[in-house]
Amino acid sequence: MGNVVQRRTRGALRRCPFEVCGNMAGLELLSDQGYRLDGRKATELRKVQARMGVFAQADGSAYLEQGNTKALAVVYGPHEMRGSRSRTRHDQAVINCQYSMATFSTAERKRRPHGDRKSTEMSLHLKQTFEAAVMTQLYPRSQIDIYVKILQSDGGNYSVCVNAATLAVIDAGIPMRDYVCACTVGFVDETPLADLCYAEESGGVSSLALALLPRGGQIALLQMDARLHQDHLEALIEAAMTACKGVSKVLDEVVRQHLQEVSVLTGE
Amino acid sequence: MIKTEKILHLKSHRGRKVRVVREHYLRERVPCYSSLCQADCENDGKVLPGDLTHYVVPDVGVVVDFLEILEFRELQGVVFTQTACQAVQHCKGRRQYNRLRNLIKDPRHDCVLFANEFQEYSYCPREKGESQEKWQTRCVYSAAVWYHNHLAGMKDVVMITEDQDAVAEYSSLNAGVYVISVQDFLQNFWPELQPAHELYSSISQALQEKESESSQKEYTEHLPAEILEAGIKSGRYIKVQNRSTHLVHALFSLLDVSSLLLFCPVSDPSWAVLVCGNKNRNRAVHGDTVVVELLPKSEWRGKVTALSEGEEKSGEDNESKPMPTGRVVGILQRNWRDYVVTFPPRDGTQSQSRNSQRILAVPWDRRIPKIRISTQQADALQDHRVVVRIDSWESTSLYPNGHSVRVLGRAGEMETEVQTILIENCIHVPPFSDAQLREMPVNSPEKPWRMDPVQVAERRDLRETHLVFSIDPRGCEDVDDTLSVRSIAGGKLLELGVHIADVTHFVAEGSLTDLEASTTYYLADRRYDMLPAVLSADLCSLLGGVDRYAMSVMWELDAQTLAVNKVWYGRTVIRSSYQLHYELAQALLNGEPAEVPELARLEPEEKDAKLAELNQALETLTHVARHLRAQRDRGGALELEGVEVRAQLDEQRNITALVPRQPLEVHETVAECMIYANHWVARKIQETFPHQALLRRHPPPRQEFFNQLVESAKAMGFTIDTRTNKALADSLDRAVDPQDPLVNKMLRMMATTAMSQALYFSTGLESQDQFYHYGLALDRYTHFTSPIRRYADIVVHRLLTAAIAVERGADSGRAIASNKELEELAQHINSKNRAAQRAQKLSTVLFQCLYFKERDPQTDPQCVADAIVYSIRNNGLLVYIPEYGVKGPVYLKNREGQVVAAGEDGSCEWQSGSLRHYSDRISTTSSCGTSTFRLCDHITVRISVRSTSSHADSLNLEIISNKPHRSAEPQQPHSQGRSQLVQEVVRQAEEAQQQAQEKAARRPKLSREEREFSQSKTPNLYSLLEEVRELALMDLDTAARVCVTSAS
Repeated sequence: MGNVVQRRTRGALRRCPFEVCGNMAGLELLSDQGYRLDGRKATELRKVQARMGVFAQADGSAYLEQGNTKALAVVYGPHEMRGSRSRTRHDQAVINCQYSMATFSTAERKRRPHGDRKSTEMSLHLKQTFEAAVMTQLYPRSQIDIYVKILQSDGGNYSVCVNAATLAVIDAGIPMRDYVCACTVGFVDETPLADLCYAEESGGVSSLALALLPRGGQIALLQMDARLHQDHLEALIEAAMTACKGVSKVLDEVVRQHLQEVSVLTGE
Repeated sequence: MIKTEKILHLKSHRGRKVRVVREHYLRERVPCYSSLCQADCENDGKVLPGDLTHYVVPDVGVVVDFLEILEFRELQGVVFTQTACQAVQHCKGRRQYNRLRNLIKDPRHDCVLFANEFQEYSYCPREKGESQEKWQTRCVYSAAVWYHNHLAGMKDVVMITEDQDAVAEYSSLNAGVYVISVQDFLQNFWPELQPAHELYSSISQALQEKESESSQKEYTEHLPAEILEAGIKSGRYIKVQNRSTHLVHALFSLLDVSSLLLFCPVSDPSWAVLVCGNKNRNRAVHGDTVVVELLPKSEWRGKVTALSEGEEKSGEDNESKPMPTGRVVGILQRNWRDYVVTFPPRDGTQSQSRNSQRILAVPWDRRIPKIRISTQQADALQDHRVVVRIDSWESTSLYPNGHSVRVLGRAGEMETEVQTILIENCIHVPPFSDAQLREMPVNSPEKPWRMDPVQVAERRDLRETHLVFSIDPRGCEDVDDTLSVRSIAGGKLLELGVHIADVTHFVAEGSLTDLEASTTYYLADRRYDMLPAVLSADLCSLLGGVDRYAMSVMWELDAQTLAVNKVWYGRTVIRSSYQLHYELAQALLNGEPAEVPELARLEPEEKDAKLAELNQALETLTHVARHLRAQRDRGGALELEGVEVRAQLDEQRNITALVPRQPLEVHETVAECMIYANHWVARKIQETFPHQALLRRHPPPRQEFFNQLVESAKAMGFTIDTRTNKALADSLDRAVDPQDPLVNKMLRMMATTAMSQALYFSTGLESQDQFYHYGLALDRYTHFTSPIRRYADIVVHRLLTAAIAVERGADSGRAIASNKELEELAQHINSKNRAAQRAQKLSTVLFQCLYFKERDPQTDPQCVADAIVYSIRNNGLLVYIPEYGVKGPVYLKNREGQVVAAGEDGSCEWQSGSLRHYSDRISTTSSCGTSTFRLCDHITVRISVRSTSSHADSLNLEIISNKPHRSAEPQQPHSQGRSQLVQEVVRQAEEAQQQAQEKAARRPKLSREEREFSQSKTPNLYSLLEEVRELALMDLDTAARVCVTSAS
């Protein structure tokens, strides 16, 4: 059962040294009674709270909290290409994503809020996710900018960003095939854990991030950089999809409530 | 469904403080695990009974320091809080935490875990400025209150704490929730539970002592875990660079005396690190996993190959190769167990004033340092053996601190010594509990046990069709195997059947008996059964003339070639017709007149017919067994020599004689059938469950271990080929000295010493070529035939049942254990078996010592015996005494530097002189001339007992003549054993020659597996061989030398 996490980046180690020690002391991620560190059961998500339309200047914006991970997403566009025109696609819109973390988002102050390797990779993942979900063919020769900022980081940064950006894209009125909902799952003691928090992520769990279009059950992105036995992969993906569907219900609720508020304001 | 809360944690790393915010989810519904619950909690698993007077909620401090008291099974209704569990994990480390977890999981203890911090109403957030201890106590109290309210006030809840402030603060807040101290609790509720009271005072005294420790450093501090971890990682890297100092992840594996330790690296056990002296040892205790830093090469020390006498090292280091030497820098995992210590007699040297209660007790195990015990009973406990636990070993203290747990009795008494052996091997043999006995079926004269007609219908009925009989030692009660053989299909086929007691029918998986079972422990004078007597001696025992359930393996063999046609596995009903014992069966085979008790009352004609039938069956069986043995011999099965002597006791438990076991061919026959059954069952379960079958493998020995054997054989003019088991077996057969039959026996004993140990394992963990059983030369092997006595067999029975169900297409209904669970189980059984063997061996030594202790070595002729030299050391010889099965050292040089000189008539005396040591001989030179001792020389030794008050007694051998010992009257009863051994070896030599001539019809050689302490035979050859290997005195040296050669 070689579920050994191989850390690819040294950055991760440097960022969370005390958690590494904590793991050596043997933090019990799933107790015999089935409780996780923060009191959740294996399949329970963290509390998700969200608001749409938090900024007036942008075309769309949203703020989303998933447990203690907080993200702000802003969408501009679709608008005409800016910067290098060579990237223009004549049959579809180009999606431009930028991910950044606030310097105060982690327990120790971050030196470089964006542009490091990890952020670049995350931006790329976001881009791939939204290219799969947004109906880009409706806006040829144009560009959609999605900016996401992590205000507080407590695990599952990618999924929180996706969820926040989905709301922002909807707020901007850009047509999408479906909500994109993302969730991380980990595998501990033969049990999949939904929606990992930071302590769990750094505690030596093989984790998997999955972005799903829930209605059709299509996977927009699946990412895993830990070792996991092949036999367990299916169960893990299954758990991730269930979790994503849970997230989608919450997002749907948020969108409907937002529409209600807006329609009251505009008097329709 | 969930409400979020947040808590703040302050954690530091590298000196810096980091503030971490963690979520904390609370819920209303947290199971309470009480059968009184009114709120429909989801109480799956074990629940607290409702018929107790109160529930106990121990405070954090109590769980951390007094967990041992809570482990008493008499204490019922204990509710552990999550707060307390986390505190244990935090302060005491993983080992203690796992102990707590196992306690909670154990269905025999009435205790549950309540996740109080996740319960909305019992959780209390830590207030600003509140100390951690205060907060934890508040949490526990609030959990206690919640419990009381949750059960609607039906049950009083007692919170026990060591914090007097808490008692004062909380005791009067709520009716029904009492807060009292542990001492009050024990006095009020358990006044009669004396061991708990003693344990309590012993622990609390140890705690007090700890507080008043001085601060003077005796040892260097251990490095913190991160540095060790990083060092191990980088150390591997540096090792490749061949630097002189690097960190090695090392494990205590072997060690000599308490100041000298030998470690083997975990990653690569082929070499070892020596740690000398208490400073370098740095508080490591035998069994710990530690990190070692190698010292520069100039400080490496050599391993002494000379015989050591007590603490004194008599050899010089310069001629032996230096070993890697290191010092302990950190301890990764403590592995403390219960130790037996002896309180020294009061001699006035112990300080009387302030520390008058502190005693330095000497552990029975020489490898363990002295332990400091605080006790008020020091006077009463003089010269008593006491079980202690080590609490801590601070860097400020020269010795570890411990507390006493239980008094065993006065040192030197037999009962005390036997208990000591059990505890030192971590063997717990509590009597069967009432709950366990309640699970058992009843079989009494008023309510006789009957077979269930449903079961009978499901099983194959062999009662009428087959002649089933058992062969066991005389007086054996637990008959777990029977045999049957008959010819079918008009004589063309033979049907051989092995019928094993169906223990799994009575012992359900997960039942209390199943949980308690491990193995039956055989000591020299007693045994501790694995199963209650109603099963082991009655319902599972396949006694003669009664109907019993059995698990059978039946082969259809070709009558001529004895090739297997068909194998049938299944559950059966049998009735054993004859319950024979070995001597009787052998007599029947030899055609000697023998009285079979079952036939005593029959008419003569009928009797003769029945006797003929039985004789026929026995002969066929012997024929088949010979064939099977020959088949295995062709594959390379080994025949090895074991030393075994059993103590004959009279009614008062005094030892009257030491008798070597006597082999009969019928032993061999039965053993061979059992090996065959085990082999076929192993095949069956492995084929059905390729990833989760429990098998037994015997890895080939390391070639280096044969060095001594090969060299000794060379000195005697034989060559031994050790490349394969076949080559080894053949060359051992050839190495026969016609003058001295004991030579072959010696060589076989040495080969046995080199063997590795057979192990249980789960097939999912090893590749198939690793399944091989070296000693038996079988590709797959398991244990199936003794379910009454071994737990592994029960597991195999369950697997076989499941395999049969799979074959029938029916689902067995219950999932069989996964590979991981099975492997854990196998590890557990292995360690238990090792412990059992060690205990058995130690008890044999104990009885040998008791035997000679009663005799005066100067006058009693039984204390003078013939010995054969089997190894040569720098200052002495290692000899084997065939008469008593004793191995031991004989010194040729004493502490004054005098050497042994042989006179004209061979008698030896001490004189000043010198020793010269060659590879195959050793000679002493003194004023009387030179005398030489060679390998395989016979000498005469006097046996006496060297007594120590705090350790086990050992035998002392003293050379009195370099001529073979001639007993004055060869017909004396005590020399019988020896002459028989000689006869046996002569016969073996003849057999070996016969085999070379007529291969097809060769007589099977004698193996010794079934001669374990008057039990019925077991195919476990290697349990015995292992025992021999441990009896070999200087094992340590062999291993160390091997390590040196491979490391350098």
